[in-house]
Amino acid sequence: MANSKFASISCACRDLARRIVDVDDDSRGRGVSIAASSLSYTTPPMDPFLVWLEATPLSVWIRESTSVLAFPGILSAHAIGMGLAAGINVAFALHVLGVVPGFPARELRHFVPVMWFGFWLNAASGLLLLIAYPTKALTNPVFYLKLLLIALAMGLFIAIRRLTFHEVADDVPAPDRHRADRKVRLCGAAALACWAGAITAGRLLAYTYSRLSASW
Amino acid sequence: MAGFQMWLVSAFASVKPIRDFMHTQWGWPAAESLHFIGLTLLVGTIFVFDMRLLGIAKGIPIRLLHRLVPWGLTGYALTLVTGMLFLLAEPDQYIYNPAFHFKVLFMVAAGFNASTCYLTSYRRTTGVGAPADAPRSAKVIAAASIFLWLSVIIAGRLLTFYRPVPCGPEGPGVLAVCIPNYYR
Repeated sequence: MANSKFASISCACRDLARRIVDVDDDSRGRGVSIAASSLSYTTPPMDPFLVWLEATPLSVWIRESTSVLAFPGILSAHAIGMGLAAGINVAFALHVLGVVPGFPARELRHFVPVMWFGFWLNAASGLLLLIAYPTKALTNPVFYLKLLLIALAMGLFIAIRRLTFHEVADDVPAPDRHRADRKVRLCGAAALACWAGAITAGRLLAYTYSRLSASW
Repeated sequence: MAGFQMWLVSAFASVKPIRDFMHTQWGWPAAESLHFIGLTLLVGTIFVFDMRLLGIAKGIPIRLLHRLVPWGLTGYALTLVTGMLFLLAEPDQYIYNPAFHFKVLFMVAAGFNASTCYLTSYRRTTGVGAPADAPRSAKVIAAASIFLWLSVIIAGRLLTFYRPVPCGPEGPGVLAVCIPNYYR
């Protein structure tokens, strides 16, 4: 019983583990060897979940179906959602950077629902791709970088919307307006960088994975 | 057509430096990333302009939003250049690929469609005193533009699922969708 607990104790707690082993003199040898072997244990602890997920009918269907609606269709939807979500955000960023002058940013609010449509299309299609190849994505640091960059880019979208769409009224003193202006330009430039990074990271997922599956 | 395709493949395949660059460790992934960034720039700007023509955000004068179009063309140039890199590096994988045939078809149609816009309703829709609501002809062109670009994206994404295989003994036919003379 005690040994199975030791197996799950992380390296940082090895000292504590050894002290417990010291008390239970009989199992010392085994206890320590299990703690040590956990150092070279390479299979991630979420493996049983990944093995189960990859065996679900949905995962198998997306991976193995010859239907054009399975993997190819989901990939196409993911590319279209990318174009809409990232693309319309790029248009917002270009506007706050001043390349399409002459009208207030809040007029662009009518395109926000289309942007969200692309975003949710990609959340859904991305989830399906993840269900098809969970190990491939989840064991690749680039995947988390991609998610982080998307989260940052969407945070910047919300910041830009807050700074421009609900237009700070004209009675705001000029220095404050200029400060807001500089801030929103910074957000726009950062958003462009985040989207370019997210797209690049997404593309690199096909080249940087180390394991394709948990079970084969 | 099959003869022309074979000539194209041999012509493209002779550009060795591109082929070598694309097969370095970062060549292909870098070109793909730029291809997708270009796609995003194109869709984000052109679709916003098209949607405006269709009647979304009528508060924005069409001629002001038209300033997004050069950015769309920049995105298009980026996808075209990187797309040519793929084509020059692995010509037979595209020239004999039915998904690529459709992709080129939709691209050419999208090009014609955009030219039609500039030849017909451009002045009327983007003039200084132009009405907020675009004429019907411009709306048809805008809807066609969205449809055609979505089709280009889908055909492009399907490329890898329709990779051509070597032709059988019956040969390539009129339009080759298999690799002729593969075993020669």
